[in-house]
Amino acid sequence: MTILAKPWLWSWLAAAAAFALILGLTGGRGAGELAYAALSFGAFAAIVGLGQMLVITLGPGNVDLSIPATMTLAATLALKAMGGEPGTAFAGLAIALGVGAAAGIANYALIFLLRLPPIIATLAASLVYQSLAIWSNRGLRIKPPEGLADFATGRFLGMPNVAWVGLALAIAVWVLLERAVAGRWLLATGQNLRAARLAGVPVELVRACTYVAVAMFAALTGYLLASFSGGAALNMGAEYLLMSIAVVVIGGSSIAGGNSNVPGVWGAALFMFLVVSMLNSYGAGAGARNVLTGAIIIAIVIAASTRRART
Amino acid sequence: MTNSMMLFSAAGLALIAGLAEADTSGKRIALSNNYAGNSWRQAMLETFESTGKQAVADGVVAAADAYTTSENQATEQAAQIQNMILQGYDAIILNAASPTALNGAVKEACDAGVTVVSFDGIVTEPCAWRIAVDFAAMGREEVDYLATRLPDGGNLLEIRGLAGVFVDDEISKGIHEGVAEHSQFDIVGSVHGDWAQDVAQKAVAGILPSLPDIVGVVTQGGDGYGTAQAFRAADRPTPLIVLGNRQDELKWWAEQRDANGYETLSLSIAPGVASLAFWVAQQVLDGEDVAKELTVPFLKITQDTLDEALATTPEGSVANVTYSLEDAQQVIASAR
Repeated sequence: MTILAKPWLWSWLAAAAAFALILGLTGGRGAGELAYAALSFGAFAAIVGLGQMLVITLGPGNVDLSIPATMTLAATLALKAMGGEPGTAFAGLAIALGVGAAAGIANYALIFLLRLPPIIATLAASLVYQSLAIWSNRGLRIKPPEGLADFATGRFLGMPNVAWVGLALAIAVWVLLERAVAGRWLLATGQNLRAARLAGVPVELVRACTYVAVAMFAALTGYLLASFSGGAALNMGAEYLLMSIAVVVIGGSSIAGGNSNVPGVWGAALFMFLVVSMLNSYGAGAGARNVLTGAIIIAIVIAASTRRART
Repeated sequence: MTNSMMLFSAAGLALIAGLAEADTSGKRIALSNNYAGNSWRQAMLETFESTGKQAVADGVVAAADAYTTSENQATEQAAQIQNMILQGYDAIILNAASPTALNGAVKEACDAGVTVVSFDGIVTEPCAWRIAVDFAAMGREEVDYLATRLPDGGNLLEIRGLAGVFVDDEISKGIHEGVAEHSQFDIVGSVHGDWAQDVAQKAVAGILPSLPDIVGVVTQGGDGYGTAQAFRAADRPTPLIVLGNRQDELKWWAEQRDANGYETLSLSIAPGVASLAFWVAQQVLDGEDVAKELTVPFLKITQDTLDEALATTPEGSVANVTYSLEDAQQVIASAR
């Protein structure tokens, strides 16, 4: 298998091309600044994307549409509980992850007990989560504790802290998928549920854990994003629904499941930020920007999938 | 109906007749709202609820109920309006999902004798009242203010709202008219911030590396704090950012003012415009002659009123005013 056959390559090439086009406009000025911004904002898309990738890997029809609402609910409850008091960052993190775990369990319960298709179950559940978020704090933006805000907007060794978190999670997911039995179970379940069950894979346990994992990834993203941007807002998750699916597909994971691609998710997350920045920098209007973004995404997906088909 | 119930309702009627003097005391008003998912809409709903509750307690109207659709869809809101007609409301106050798609339902309401007052998100159906905001004037005013502060002009960054929404087009149109008038300014970049701090922060962080020095930022509200954060993260000097009355923006402004004398202007529409719509509907029901087209003023916060506004705005919310019956009468009189 040559390097060209790697499906994740295309998202990285596209990200690099968008980066180069912006620098072409500025004459090379602001490269570090742009890379830093891309890593900061790409990290949020990458973390939700990793979660969505795990669910999509479960096979056709598996997707979590409650990601935006879970992000909003986790961030709202965590920031409300912290109330801006110093020293509460870890308590807030525990609350956010707890909300994520509860949302994941609720999603899976709807899918397993009521036999609802995941699309319907997670969409319906997301209305409940969003309403809970509205009801719990009526949309008030509470500031994160100062230490937490400094962490979320800070840097370590020149790279944003949130990007380090995203990188660590990506490595963890990669090791899980490529080196651990649990990851093999997940891939087997996604490739053929019945065959996996007959082979002794605890498929329902795998599915349950995956739905809990995606919700916890979403909750963590909500917590970090709210700390980064100065508070939770009711519509903070809105753009992460399509984003989470787009980064999985652009990253070269199979939408039919059973095949996942961790490096591609990061490349796609950077690309999604850079392509919008590029079109903004070139002064494209909102309409042209949406059309071009859509066209570029389709082109990358075609490039990545034809390469895969040939090998 | 049992005897005791009859007695009870008779007593109730007597009580209402005895206490209330307004002609609208038996009227029921409903709020049809298309969206509740941000702090502005939440403040709007709270203002409507408190105004309505007080009016019911005072016997001005019999009911003031708020309903919000879950999906921000015109079809869903049209069905909601039809339900309100069937439930026998006398007036519907409407913040519409679309200026045109609800016209059929609004016409049905008018034909059924229901007063329809649209505000913020207005409808074009002629039988309804419109409490509109001159969004283009808001955009022009931002540039006029920048011209007084920066007579030498320079490069501006424009933060737009949600693409495809009427309000975004109007404010942007006003800003561009203002820039055409004050030719010392030049808009060198434009991004969509979706009226959300985190989206604005992301969009500005992405375009900043390709921009020359920026002296001022024209915004639409809900995006000023995120813009300031993006400038800070890029180690750029903070330009003059026109703000949009959100509490986090006002707090940031006060901090900057105390630290380095930062001066700016903040303007937006107060969510309390729902209470103005309530009183206008009450006046229409009362038989007042009210013009169909009314205009609501902006809520403007200046350097002098900053501390006052900050003190009265709940943390994490948006600066607000609750309009009274007298305010509504004044707006109605000025439109005659």
